Amino acid sequence: MTARLLTGLATGAAYSLVAVGVVLIFRCTRTLSLAHGEIGAFGFFVGLRWAAEGMPGLGWHPPRFATLLIAVVVAAALSGLAERLVMRRLVGRAPLDALVATLGVALFLALAERELFGTATQFAPSPIGEGRIVIAGATLSAVRLTALGAAAVVAVAAGLFFTRTRFGLAVRATTGDPTVARLMGVPVRRVYAFAWIAAGALAGLAAALLAPAFGGLTPFAMTRFALRALAGAVIGGLDSIGGAIAGSLLVGLVESLVGGGTGVAGSAEAAVLVLVVGMLLLRPQGLFGTVGAR
Amino acid sequence: MAARAEGPNRRRPGYRARPSRVVGAAAAVAVVAWSLTGLSDLRLSILVSVAVTAVAALSLDLLVGRAGELSLAHGSFLGIGAFSAIHVGSRGVHWLVAVLVAMAVTGAVATLVGLPSLRIRGLQVAIATLAFQVFAEVFLFTRPDLVAATRTFGRPAELRTDRALYLLALAAVALTLVVRARVGATKAGRVFVAVRDVPDRAPVFGVEPGAGKLLAYACSGALVGLAGAVLAIKAGNITAKDPFLLLESLQLVAIVVVGGTGSAAGIVAASVFVKGTPQLVGSVPGTDLAPERVIPIVSAALLVLVIVVAPRGLGGVLRAAGAWIDRRVGRAAGAHRADQPVPGGHGVPVAPPSGTRTSADGRTVAAARTLVAVPRPLWTRMPQPAVLEAAGVTVRYGGIEALSAVSLEVRRGEIVGLIGTNGAGKSTFLNAVSGFAPATGSIRYLGRELLGRAPQVRVALGVGRTFQDLGLVRAERVLDNMLLAQHWLADYPAAAGIVGIGGVGRTERALRERARLALELFGLEGLADRRLGALPYGTMRLVEIAAVVATGPGLLLLDEATAGLGTGEAALLARRLRDLRDTLGISMLVIEHHVPFIRDTCDHVYCLESGSLLAQGSPDEVADDPAVVASFLGTGAGALR
Repeated sequence: MTARLLTGLATGAAYSLVAVGVVLIFRCTRTLSLAHGEIGAFGFFVGLRWAAEGMPGLGWHPPRFATLLIAVVVAAALSGLAERLVMRRLVGRAPLDALVATLGVALFLALAERELFGTATQFAPSPIGEGRIVIAGATLSAVRLTALGAAAVVAVAAGLFFTRTRFGLAVRATTGDPTVARLMGVPVRRVYAFAWIAAGALAGLAAALLAPAFGGLTPFAMTRFALRALAGAVIGGLDSIGGAIAGSLLVGLVESLVGGGTGVAGSAEAAVLVLVVGMLLLRPQGLFGTVGAR
Repeated sequence: MAARAEGPNRRRPGYRARPSRVVGAAAAVAVVAWSLTGLSDLRLSILVSVAVTAVAALSLDLLVGRAGELSLAHGSFLGIGAFSAIHVGSRGVHWLVAVLVAMAVTGAVATLVGLPSLRIRGLQVAIATLAFQVFAEVFLFTRPDLVAATRTFGRPAELRTDRALYLLALAAVALTLVVRARVGATKAGRVFVAVRDVPDRAPVFGVEPGAGKLLAYACSGALVGLAGAVLAIKAGNITAKDPFLLLESLQLVAIVVVGGTGSAAGIVAASVFVKGTPQLVGSVPGTDLAPERVIPIVSAALLVLVIVVAPRGLGGVLRAAGAWIDRRVGRAAGAHRADQPVPGGHGVPVAPPSGTRTSADGRTVAAARTLVAVPRPLWTRMPQPAVLEAAGVTVRYGGIEALSAVSLEVRRGEIVGLIGTNGAGKSTFLNAVSGFAPATGSIRYLGRELLGRAPQVRVALGVGRTFQDLGLVRAERVLDNMLLAQHWLADYPAAAGIVGIGGVGRTERALRERARLALELFGLEGLADRRLGALPYGTMRLVEIAAVVATGPGLLLLDEATAGLGTGEAALLARRLRDLRDTLGISMLVIEHHVPFIRDTCDHVYCLESGSLLAQGSPDEVADDPAVVASFLGTGAGALR
């Protein structure tokens, strides 16, 4: 039981990394991104490829830990590129247009992964090493522990960023009303770009922590994890960072307790479906979201 | 390969079939004939999968394009259709029964999935359908009993050959196109469009938004079920779940967007490109790349590109080509040109109504009789001196009293003006009368209390209104808007309209005739096929008034009738409204700012200030009332008088 609780929390923590990125983008641009699972996966695919075959041109084999850094950097760059080339041009259009565009990005990246890295499950060694620790009789692998730690760090960092920095204030102003924010001198475009790049970095980190824990990486698999993150964000409230983290942890817990507890195939997904639809019906703004998130 | 049969049918009296449609239909027939004579059986069997995808995409578009609901679960619906068909078909019943059951089951599942959309909108609907897709994949499609893993749907004798199967698939595409056309030409399509674009005002047309949405889900689901059944007949037994997974759902969205929402031809073309080319083309010309690997990536990239640079997709290109053909042919035939000036546009006076030039004109009186001949309770036909009696009408929003104890009266055959400064409560009063604002007091129409009745009931009793910011659907044609306004007059159930039973044709012809008469009264009959949003603002306002007149109202509430019209046009509109009053006997309550309009048109004027009645009387009395002048211009040294 303790083991299930802990693994559930750790998985939820990894989801929350993606969820925080999705919420950050939603807060800034009112766009829901379905692309960030694949953006993170692509980053980690690149990291694994370079670790195995050497970096192109350099021939240098990055150490295992560097796969995580490469995943973060490549995913951030990809996400920034998507914002610059696609999403920026859709600001002010119908929200469904932007959603479909992120779907297109996800589809494109997944299919590109299939071409570049093959359809077979790619073995993903843990960037953090294979160490495990025992907490209250439950063993927890290093990646899961890192996920928990990373989620905590992100939560604290986001809190400080939004309350203590000028740029955090700019992001909040943009959330409130982009037009007024621009008139007040907030660099709205830079805020958009920041949101996408930060979300990309978080997605890369999440991919590097989730793939080893779930036995490898296949094209399109990360989108499934991203959907759980999205479920968490919806439950917590699409415009609340804290809500996204809480919601993701809840999804991770429910998944681990229901899925592992009943042993029925698909019961975890059924439980998540009930959670999401129930929340949308009873409280469309989510646990901690504002009515504007509806 | 499919006819461009999208949109309302074209055989209306007085409207010509467009040449582009003829060209499109001819091209479709040619492609189908070529595929039947020139292609091997292997290729035909590939085309079956293309047709299945086309049906699924066309039905997804019914939901996305018409009703504005994005479903990311259509891949799973396709699977549900296929597996239900195998379940039933493997039990020795006739294959048509299996197809019908698959359609019914999938339609029911889609309706269930659509249920949350009654409470949530847009992005959230997309998320809910996404959650269902994932649930279906891992919970439903992993159960051997549910997916009928051990059963086989034996291919019926008459469908043994690939050619026969191909004909069945073509029939499925044709049926889908017919359903889309029926939806577009009847109540259902108008419900979907109203739900999509003006959900808050839909009651004015008598539209029930919730039922409309669910009908859209049910239709779309039933058609995907048809696609799934064709797939099941082709395969017999399905073990690989690939065609039903999230990737497929996303690809269907990609096909709809690349093809262009609302464009059947574009979507069919996109289906052929995405599903057909990988199998039909050996390799990408000039390279040794296998197209089945390249095409999906290209189509994903196209999806993103289309959204950014050409949101109307392939359909937009086809539409432009069609418009070009129509212009070429139309110029030769001397038809009404799209770039011709229109009434109410800049510098173009609103032509005097052809029918109402003289009130004694027999044709006008006949038109008037037709328009007011609306089935209504007997009491609305009783002679009553007062059409509208409002007494002590108060509207409160939270702690703010927007309207306090306003009493006014509109007598039979009167045009009554309602004036006042911004925020005086004029529109609020109209909202109270039409049921869009919570009011207390008493509002009696022909002696019966209106308060407590739903907006759609008031419309049906004969209280018609326009909105200050246009309550119509700009994305649709003028004619469609005229029909939408008369939605509540169509007495058949929306679902029956799709099937085409129960006097639907007769009702629709009657509604079109009413629409034509109303447009003629305003000299707008040449614009029936133009998109409303493409017309000048003043013209849109005229169309809105014409749309309300088409419902044969007993009382017409006009919110800023002359907004967007020039001085000369306003004078002509005033004349037209007086004619309407004289020939149709419509009483009116008009919010207006334009003083000459009020002096020329109104029989009586009320002036509001800060939610209370300030003055009333004849137009001249009110205009000269010192309190009214003070309200508009202020008092003291700075005032004009």
